[in-house]
Amino acid sequence: MIEVEKLNERDLVAAAVEDAKRYGADLADAFFAQNHELVIEVRNEEVENLKVARESGIGIRLIKEGRLGFAYTSDLRRDSIRETVRAALANARIGSPDLNNVLPAPPEVYPEMELEDHRLQEIPLEEKIRLAQEIEKSGRGYDNRVRITEQAGYQEAHYQVTIANSLGILASYRGSLCGGYASLVAGDDGDQQTGFGLYFTRKFDELDPEAVGREAAYKAVRMLGARRLETRRTAVVFDPYVVTNFLGLIASALSADAVQKGRSLFAGKVGQKVAAEGVTVIDDGTIPKGLMSSPFDGEGVPSQRTSLIMKGRLQGFLHNSYTGARDGVSSTGNAARSSYKSPPEVGTTNFYLAPGEKDPQDIIKNTESGLYLTEVMGMHTANPVSGDFSVGAAGIWIERGELTTPVRGMVIAGNILELLENIDLIGNDLRFFIGTGAPTIRVAGLTVSGQ
Amino acid sequence: MLSKADLEEVLQVALRGGDFAEIFIEDKKSTKIGCEDRKIERVITGHEQGAGIRVIRGENTAYGYTNALNKQELLKLAERVAKAARENPVATIALERRESPVKLPVKRRPDEEGIEEKAKLVKAAEEAARSVDEKLVRQVTVGYGDVTQRVTIANTDGVYVEDERIRSRLSVNAVAAEGQVIQTGYESAGGTQGLELFDEEKPVDLGRRAARRALLMLNARRAPAGRMPVVLAGEAGGTMIHEACGHGLEADLVQKGLSVYANRQGEQVASELVTVVDDGTLQGKFGTLRFDDEGSPAQRTVLIEGGILRGYMHDRITASRDGAGLTGNGRRESFQHRPIPRMTNTYLAPGDASPDEIIRETRAGLLVRRMGGGQVNTTNGDFVFEVTEGYLIQDGEATVPVRGATLTGNGPEVLKQIDMIGRDFGFSIGICGKDGQGVAVSDAQPTIRIPELIVGGILEEEGDYQ
Repeated sequence: MIEVEKLNERDLVAAAVEDAKRYGADLADAFFAQNHELVIEVRNEEVENLKVARESGIGIRLIKEGRLGFAYTSDLRRDSIRETVRAALANARIGSPDLNNVLPAPPEVYPEMELEDHRLQEIPLEEKIRLAQEIEKSGRGYDNRVRITEQAGYQEAHYQVTIANSLGILASYRGSLCGGYASLVAGDDGDQQTGFGLYFTRKFDELDPEAVGREAAYKAVRMLGARRLETRRTAVVFDPYVVTNFLGLIASALSADAVQKGRSLFAGKVGQKVAAEGVTVIDDGTIPKGLMSSPFDGEGVPSQRTSLIMKGRLQGFLHNSYTGARDGVSSTGNAARSSYKSPPEVGTTNFYLAPGEKDPQDIIKNTESGLYLTEVMGMHTANPVSGDFSVGAAGIWIERGELTTPVRGMVIAGNILELLENIDLIGNDLRFFIGTGAPTIRVAGLTVSGQ
Repeated sequence: MLSKADLEEVLQVALRGGDFAEIFIEDKKSTKIGCEDRKIERVITGHEQGAGIRVIRGENTAYGYTNALNKQELLKLAERVAKAARENPVATIALERRESPVKLPVKRRPDEEGIEEKAKLVKAAEEAARSVDEKLVRQVTVGYGDVTQRVTIANTDGVYVEDERIRSRLSVNAVAAEGQVIQTGYESAGGTQGLELFDEEKPVDLGRRAARRALLMLNARRAPAGRMPVVLAGEAGGTMIHEACGHGLEADLVQKGLSVYANRQGEQVASELVTVVDDGTLQGKFGTLRFDDEGSPAQRTVLIEGGILRGYMHDRITASRDGAGLTGNGRRESFQHRPIPRMTNTYLAPGDASPDEIIRETRAGLLVRRMGGGQVNTTNGDFVFEVTEGYLIQDGEATVPVRGATLTGNGPEVLKQIDMIGRDFGFSIGICGKDGQGVAVSDAQPTIRIPELIVGGILEEEGDYQ
């Protein structure tokens, strides 16, 4: 055997799979990922932090007698990869045997996708620094009460994924993304409030730094003078960003893994009404501009569009190969790996609540009194199993269809199923925040705790 | 392997770009075992290596990292990171090895124990949780994790530190269901220890406690909504103090004007009963360190003493900006990140009241026996934390259990209000997130009473307001 120290990615994953078979694995896959990252953070017009990074590694998953083992390494030399294969085999020995541990066969074809801005790496650093500075400048110039830059920056990433498995899959893709963000503080009379703006895309030319800065500034300024109101039950209008926070809760309950393990509030409800009539929830890994789009998932299964809730009725769940085998259905292409360091779980791609027809302005106009909810705090404490949530809340009070006084320091509480059933208006303003998208919605009655 | 002389050479190249340069080399081995559905499902071992180079010039920081740990690659990286700045005259660097006063003996090193031993801990916790109630406990998820992290930290001030950090943790999540009601219970233990941690924190006890909490919550009422007195039990853990003032006392936020505690050193910011300490030297706790991630020795730092703000938590940059001493709080998640001021083990010091008496002297309110996660907006001081086990207090007695709810308050307002502090003390552990970096911390506090907090429960009736 010839020892090659530096293999290309395809040879590397293929060699890892060969090693696994030779050492006795029944099935194996190898997943290689490489990332280049650039982060520019500016404050007071100067570059405060600049980060350049490159990282790569390989994760090896194998199955022996139905038992699963996984190991990873960032050291890509041949002997290190062999050692990683042996570690994965040792790990498989203590795994519980499960015949649903399977790997996908090669598909006929993968969808064609353009995920990369080839120009991005050629754009000089100075231009990207200028973009970050413009974000800050437009935000700070928006209103003289905008006084402090918490963060303003530009970020880009280039990534490459290559996968091979022992059933013959060998595939790869490259992609890039870039974006700007700002978090600004407005101050007045000893009162300080923050606001953020963010926009990520695949194409550098689509970035609008001024819009990002203005959004952060506008959101900070409108919260000045916020106070706590009395406890009440009221209509709540959720802005799209807040809705995406709640979609995270729904996403975990729509994973077949959660259903099979008895921790999904949607278990046993396929075909039933689980939400208001207008509610449609979709996962789509093929959206042309979607930042989470890719030709295939973390196991090499082609990405697809999956309707999960259609006009309020539950259609089905998200699957990877394991949960698909266990339920006797096909994978939906939702095997997600957060990096080469984790085996594929069930996860979302571009996951969104479909837009309705209402202009968001009209939703507010049609609300006699209620809370326009723009921030939640402690969302990670919501319980995805019971669906109960109780989270810190801030926003603007609506009176006779008009936004009036800002409010903060309150808590909204309820249950996610009740919330879905009580959505009575859905906006036409679908907006994505990286991989999750939503329009403005209104929920009929929720408890808002305060004084 | 990279010698001291190699690192001196790399630092010399990096220093061309600034006034200070540093290299952080990491070699991390970790194990994770996951059990759910009575099955050992995920058995993961990993090995990750990398180095981060930081160059500081005035107020600006350049940072770069790579997985490639050889001299050529590191020299290239040093050049890239330094490039952003002007050429400095070449300086000589003499690295000198430092020792820490903190000793952290480990009896059963996780990297020397077999995976079967670790799987046994997982199974013990899972079976114990199931056996509490075979019928109502529907699902048990157990997660085991250990990390053996070796670091080398060297900088152009001559600091040279070689350190090894070992951490182990075990968590249990139990799901109980009866009719339409489904509830969960969570318990976790972790420390800068090897497997000996589980001689003290027995997996069986963790499993039982998680299952019992899930069962208890099946019969709990919905939490009330609105403003009321709240008693936090010592056993509830320290999330409240971590959020209400811990983050706001991190010097980077303070210096940027992003903390309600900025410019208040020497002032009364809390009730005189309140003393808050960050202590990275506590034996075996989850946030304990020999050195922080900039090579400064861990220490005990009094943040608030008798209600007076004494100081902040610093990293090198914030300390030099303030002319303050280093406090050993410059931490990072890994070589992929630059260090920033972070908490270690943070606590509200015990007082002298009896915990029972604190409850007895509260006519009506909420007793919190276990806290979950939390979050804070340091700019305006508003914070939230989750109650995972709570009871109504009626006529000085803890009565019916209430379901999870979030409590909210404003940091400086709440600290001023605290009117009773018990003599007991309880810890909780967590991975604290800030600027996209997670680090291991622990928090602790005694039983305390806060006369007014907002409880985020549910009003059952429409129109039941004002």
